[in-house]
Amino acid sequence: MVLRGLEKMVQLQKNPANIRNICVLAHVDHGKTTLADCLISSNGIISSRLAGKMRYLDSREDEQVRGITMKSSAISLHYANGDQEYLINLIDSPGHVDFSSEVSTAVRICDGCIIVVDAVEGVCPQTQAVLRQAWLENIRPVLVINKIDRLIVELKFTPQEAYAHLKNILEQMNALTGTLFTSKVLEERADRVGEPRGPAAEPGEQLYDWSSGLEDTDDSHLYFSPDQGNVVFTSAVDGWGFGIEHFASIYSQKIGIRKDVLLRTLWGDYYINVKAKKVMKADQAKGKKPLFVQLILENIWSLYEAVLKRDKEKIDRIVTSLGLSISAREARHSDPKVQLSAICSQWLPVSQAVLAMVCQKLPSPLEMTPERVEKLLCTGPQTFDSLPLETQALKAAFMKCGSEDAAPVIIFVSKMFAIDAKALPENKPRPLTQEEMAERRERARQRHAEKLAATQGQAPSDPPQEGGAPGTSPPAAAEPEGDQRPLESAAPRPPQDGDRAESFIAFARVFSGVARRGKKIFVLGPKYSPAEFLEQVPHGFSAALNELPPVPHLACGTLERLYLLMGRELEELEEVPPGNVLGIGGLQDLVLKSATLCSSPSCPPFVPLSFEATPIVRVAVEPTHPSEMPQLVRGMKLLNQADPCVQVLIQETGEHVLVTAGEVHLQRCLDDLRERFAKIQISVSEPIIPFRETITKPPRVDMVNEEIGRQQKVAVIHQTREDQSRLPEGVQVDADGLVTVSTPNRLATLGVRALPLPEEVTRLLEAHGDLIRRMETWTSSLCEGRVTGELPQKVQEQIREFRGQLERHLTGHRWRDTVDHICSFGPRKCGPNILVSRSHAFQGSVWPEAARDAGRFRDLGNSLVSGFQLATLAGPMCEEPLMGVCFVLEKWDLAAPEAPAGEREREGQAGAGEGDPDPEASGAGPCEKQSFLRGDAAPADCYGPLSGQLIATMKEACRYALQVKPQRLMAAMYTCDIMATSDVLGRVYAVLSRREGRVLQEEMREGTDVFTIKAVLPVAESFGFADEIRKRTSGLASPQLVFSHWEVIPSDPFWVPTTEEEYLHFGEKADSENQARKYMNAVRRRKGLAVEEKLVEHAEKQRTLGRNK
Amino acid sequence: MSIFTPTNQIRLTNVAVVRMKRAGKRFEIACYKNKVVGWRNGVEKDLDEVLQTHSVFVNVSKGQVAKKEDLISAFGTDDQTEICKQILTKGEVQVSDKERHTQLEQMFRDIATIVADKCVNPETKRPYTVILIERAMKDIHYSVKANKSTKQQALDVIKQLKEKMKIERAHMRLRFSLPINEGKKLKEKLKPLIKVIESEDYGQQIEIGLGERSTAEYIPYHMQGPGPSTTWKLLWIT
Repeated sequence: MVLRGLEKMVQLQKNPANIRNICVLAHVDHGKTTLADCLISSNGIISSRLAGKMRYLDSREDEQVRGITMKSSAISLHYANGDQEYLINLIDSPGHVDFSSEVSTAVRICDGCIIVVDAVEGVCPQTQAVLRQAWLENIRPVLVINKIDRLIVELKFTPQEAYAHLKNILEQMNALTGTLFTSKVLEERADRVGEPRGPAAEPGEQLYDWSSGLEDTDDSHLYFSPDQGNVVFTSAVDGWGFGIEHFASIYSQKIGIRKDVLLRTLWGDYYINVKAKKVMKADQAKGKKPLFVQLILENIWSLYEAVLKRDKEKIDRIVTSLGLSISAREARHSDPKVQLSAICSQWLPVSQAVLAMVCQKLPSPLEMTPERVEKLLCTGPQTFDSLPLETQALKAAFMKCGSEDAAPVIIFVSKMFAIDAKALPENKPRPLTQEEMAERRERARQRHAEKLAATQGQAPSDPPQEGGAPGTSPPAAAEPEGDQRPLESAAPRPPQDGDRAESFIAFARVFSGVARRGKKIFVLGPKYSPAEFLEQVPHGFSAALNELPPVPHLACGTLERLYLLMGRELEELEEVPPGNVLGIGGLQDLVLKSATLCSSPSCPPFVPLSFEATPIVRVAVEPTHPSEMPQLVRGMKLLNQADPCVQVLIQETGEHVLVTAGEVHLQRCLDDLRERFAKIQISVSEPIIPFRETITKPPRVDMVNEEIGRQQKVAVIHQTREDQSRLPEGVQVDADGLVTVSTPNRLATLGVRALPLPEEVTRLLEAHGDLIRRMETWTSSLCEGRVTGELPQKVQEQIREFRGQLERHLTGHRWRDTVDHICSFGPRKCGPNILVSRSHAFQGSVWPEAARDAGRFRDLGNSLVSGFQLATLAGPMCEEPLMGVCFVLEKWDLAAPEAPAGEREREGQAGAGEGDPDPEASGAGPCEKQSFLRGDAAPADCYGPLSGQLIATMKEACRYALQVKPQRLMAAMYTCDIMATSDVLGRVYAVLSRREGRVLQEEMREGTDVFTIKAVLPVAESFGFADEIRKRTSGLASPQLVFSHWEVIPSDPFWVPTTEEEYLHFGEKADSENQARKYMNAVRRRKGLAVEEKLVEHAEKQRTLGRNK
Repeated sequence: MSIFTPTNQIRLTNVAVVRMKRAGKRFEIACYKNKVVGWRNGVEKDLDEVLQTHSVFVNVSKGQVAKKEDLISAFGTDDQTEICKQILTKGEVQVSDKERHTQLEQMFRDIATIVADKCVNPETKRPYTVILIERAMKDIHYSVKANKSTKQQALDVIKQLKEKMKIERAHMRLRFSLPINEGKKLKEKLKPLIKVIESEDYGQQIEIGLGERSTAEYIPYHMQGPGPSTTWKLLWIT
């Protein structure tokens, strides 16, 4: 059946006027897949008895288990209406919010969509979302109100109530459409106003246009109304559905009222005057029933009543009056549902009603609107007119959808999906043809003969026999492959497919031209720009495709295999005419997620898919067995390709982070990784939250807002440990935070002070990280003499500007001359911390103009810089990098003359690095060489070379300098954009405030009741945030999180109450939660550092009974 | 004859004894369990939360209090609280189960952190995460020794992990400047230690290469002849 169908399909594909590309969209559990089942069963692919139970398009196991669709999948159906035959490419989409990316991929390649609404639940959040998506993509929707049977069976509505209810749903839908429409009109108008006014040729038209433009734009065709024919009422489970038209034609014969009158009046407040055979405007007060109730709903209601009450005679009467024939098996079935669906699916087959509406109301690929074409072709802020002329010419091709050979081939790949390589049609066992059977028989005979010959010991006498079948390959080799040989042996499968069990198929649509197998085609990445190409390649360029100059985001590929998508099955095709949905094999190395394929390089890539939900749930994944890392990495790469919405990152810490749209999506991705892509056990954890450490100015007021200093400190009884006691011996600290430390061998002494940098400086340093790195690599290579000459002019200018900005921000007495004395940035030489040298002994500088003579200080100065780098890489609080700290090297005393000769020599070599250049050392170079040798071969002290000691000492000095200042943690912050309707605003705020979020602004969107809230939220609090907010607002608010900046957490992690006021307020143990300390301890515990937490809080209360009692 | 009944036997369930021998005498104090180490770390600051009683004993379980003369002869004072403090900081403690457990756990984490810091996955040139290293350490059944430093143990762990998974010490970028006349001889010696030579400059004999940390430590001690002055930068190679 399917094979015969395939030929039919191929034939139908050639007539674009009769093709409908549609997708089914709805809220989760509103019956999309069931409806699709009904439509599929009409084609005989599945039994009509199974329709609605099988969920044919849910081919994944977890889809079947969970009962929700998780991916969009396509199937081609054949539908005959009268003498017209249609090909319908139906795409079923998931309804769950986590998979809304799949909806985007489906909507892009369709021309129309069926929006399904549950008659009981009405309009739901996802209904709004999909309607908006359809609207954004400019595709026409039709409405199916599903599950009407629930109104009868569950809610037990009377027909009258049901009518009111349905009317209500329709009104809601139309209201939604209306808001979308108004917002679009207002937007367009805003665009128009935003554009510069034309030349002032018409001074008379200076009058401001106050009309919103709403009045003059016609919107009547947009709305859903049964009398327009774009609404169908169905019950997919029971297999029935109807549009008004069906009943209109029945009743026009029965009562003798013209069909067009009935069409207009069957929906709405009209009633029929049977005597006068006239349809009148209804008057509810008189208790008249509207036509819809009287003629349609009541009939259905009475049928349900009869069947559910098992009124045998009545059923028979209805069945005969409808002229149906019910098989005895179904008539006697004990379950009334079976009877019902048997009767209804004959009386009002759902597929008929829905497909007829689809064919009539939804556009064919030929009728694509010019606006949609323009929208597809223009990325970002570009307007269509700004595109190159050749590109503009493509618009005509789009509109024509031509299938002649000259037409450019344009294909859009909306997603890649993985399929088991075994399921590909070319790898499938298939029935053998006559010739093959004959060939095999021949071969078997031959083998038999050979065997006989071998047993007789005449093996070598056989060559003529083998030559007798020259066309066949050597028998022994060919035999095992016999039944699995691909259809097309000329195109061998790529070798990697063998070990890769998953094969990727592109889910695509031909917009213009004919896609032929083996055709060479350009693959345009989303960032490709045709203008760039046209600039590079001379016009009329006609060399071979692979000789083109390299253009970014452009690749060349071949359409290796084309498939007809039939749900779980794929059928191989030779060519696909325009306007069809298809699968393309062999693109996995060229296309990541989506792409545009075109035979002409002047085609721009289509606008990227607009996703309703951006991925926000982050987790870190790791293999359970550490040796399986490579499999995980490969699996994640495949997953990234197979899922349009997932993000895969490898962080600096080595974590593999998976970002998904929601918890359900995450679950699916993990299942996919475990079972399909990586095939290993993986474990999932929260990703590591980064922090930064910094210092602040000492506070003026204490925690209860009393001024410090004026009140005396309460005798601290329980706090025996003082700040000083933290510092080991040999470290001196003076009152304003200058820390002096000596190296272990007492040769060098360093004085370091830590200062907080102004916020703007930190921001400036962060923003210019790349510039600093560039400067640094240049300087270091200059020192090694690897490069000579100047930096490029542009970079020099940037550096000068950067320097100027720094100087502007670092003003005041304390920062005098600071910028000139910056020796290094850190960590990693480009971070937001600086090392400033005030010592005369060491005058390194980062600035390129000063770098030339820096070579002389290299050796020991480098040790100091290294120490600074180490210190900034891991701070004292929880070993996290520092940020916004300035270390000032105030003092650097080097060894007195009685130092061991070896060390002196080193310093001597280091040149004028030290403050008191020893004339002796430099003068007596050669003779001291000997002692230098001795010094290094067996160091005089046990501390190792001085350079190493300096690094460690510098690091310690920096750490102590930090510790004597008030330290603070910095938390990474997300900016969080939330779209929420006004009724859930309160709950959004509640969730935000519980998670320490702060609302920055809140705005109402023009023309809608949607609020946009902008807030900041610590990354540490963001886990489960998306899920919580969705749960609490029943899906009406959807957050988007983007990393924005670092923010100082105001509380001191080491704070304990010290003043009297504080004691009064907090008690002596400061039991109230200290956010910074909580974060700090969590990090320390994770890293295995000592945490200052008591094992047992109250010694008296611990339970310490021995084990044997 | 003692009858084993609950009434005449008082079990010391919540007591940790700290002992000290001074002047040939043994002194003990009675403390709460799981608290003494906290006191020594400075986490616990309240003496009453550590001591059961401020008196000094000769034998805690028998309840024999130390004599005053003995205290004075041993400690030079009879202030019981002062003596208690002395014994607390200097006496031998029995580390209780919870304390030992947290200490080992902490060391285990510390070792894993050090390993994760020092090593990379040679295939991706990226570090492993601490959690992964911890799991790998459990897989090879590594047991932490409380009396060895964590760094020493971490080096040990790296050696053992290398057999199990792909792990390598992160390379450092090293720079040597070798005197010209003996450069060649030295280079021969350096060669096996350097993994990758990035660049060489014969004019000044500067070599930049990648090697392990041990290379940098090795050179000053083991190179005969004029030692090269080594300068190394810390750089994880990614």
